[in-house]
Amino acid sequence: MEGRIFVITSGKGGVGKTTATSSIGAAMAMAGKRVVVVDMDIGLRNLDVVMGLENRIVFNIVDVVKNKCKLSQAAIKDRRIDNLFLIPASQSDNKTVLKPEDMVALGKILKTEFDIVLMDCPAGIEQGFENAVAAANEAVVICTPEVSSVRDADRVIGLLYARSITPRLIINKINPQMVKSGNMLSHEDVTDVLSIDLVGLVESDEHVIVSSNMGKPLVMLEGSKAGQAFKRIAMRLDGHPDLPIQVPCNGTGFLQKIKNWLR
Amino acid sequence: MFAETVQKLFGYKNNSGQTAKKRLKLALIYDKLEISDDVLKDLQRDIIDAISRYFEIDKDALQLDISKSGEMSALVLNTPILSTKRQAALDHV
Repeated sequence: MEGRIFVITSGKGGVGKTTATSSIGAAMAMAGKRVVVVDMDIGLRNLDVVMGLENRIVFNIVDVVKNKCKLSQAAIKDRRIDNLFLIPASQSDNKTVLKPEDMVALGKILKTEFDIVLMDCPAGIEQGFENAVAAANEAVVICTPEVSSVRDADRVIGLLYARSITPRLIINKINPQMVKSGNMLSHEDVTDVLSIDLVGLVESDEHVIVSSNMGKPLVMLEGSKAGQAFKRIAMRLDGHPDLPIQVPCNGTGFLQKIKNWLR
Repeated sequence: MFAETVQKLFGYKNNSGQTAKKRLKLALIYDKLEISDDVLKDLQRDIIDAISRYFEIDKDALQLDISKSGEMSALVLNTPILSTKRQAALDHV
């Protein structure tokens, strides 16, 4: 069976594409799939450090496309999670070194080697975006509940529709207290504005920074709400489409109840 | 934190979230149509002028909105019609 190629994109930078890519990739691999995550941010690579694989890079995606190495030489195997691989971006080239046709050709090979391919798209809608989308059949758009991010998501959703891809949406960095007090767009507000199907809601979580500090996948950290949310997103994307979406809410502990009451 | 708590006790309600939603909806519409707020206002004035030649309308209650469903944007004008200006309409023809 052929693998599936997803692009994870947002338009705006800093909303969580790389975190989402590494977390969903790790979760799918832990669920038994053969997964490769591909850093498409040529010149500004980051997926490698977030995953803690930066000191194992020898070859990169540009080397693969230019036939300077074999695919198996560029795909770094994660030693903590079986069946999880990373193809890093090149740090010294710029985005124009790859062309969409190159990516379509690479995608065909990746599909035969892996069950799941996740393309971590760079910010923006220029050549880097074109390259990341070229090989993908499916797309996940990620945004935060902020006007700038939602606006950019709308633009990207339009560009994906123009390529006959129907994307699904992750809303990241939700602050339940602020939603409750009316000072943050709720997920209903965002989906109302964007008219797109949700695939998951992720709350703002300090574990994300701890995980990137240590280069340890978020889904492996105990007690990370964001990690759990990404795990459920991975399930919805692959094999369990009907898993209910949980809305991040305030804690239910005694202290939290008093805090909530004070609000 | 304390100030916020006091505000809430006295019933002040923050809702910058709803402001954000309204601003976003309009921003996305302007982005798609590539027209500015000023153009939309001019359009509204011209439409009012045109309708006013045929109907007595409540100009203050008039609302011009753009509604979005899927890929399509529709310009929606809502106005209460007070009465018909039969003569004026005929003169104009």
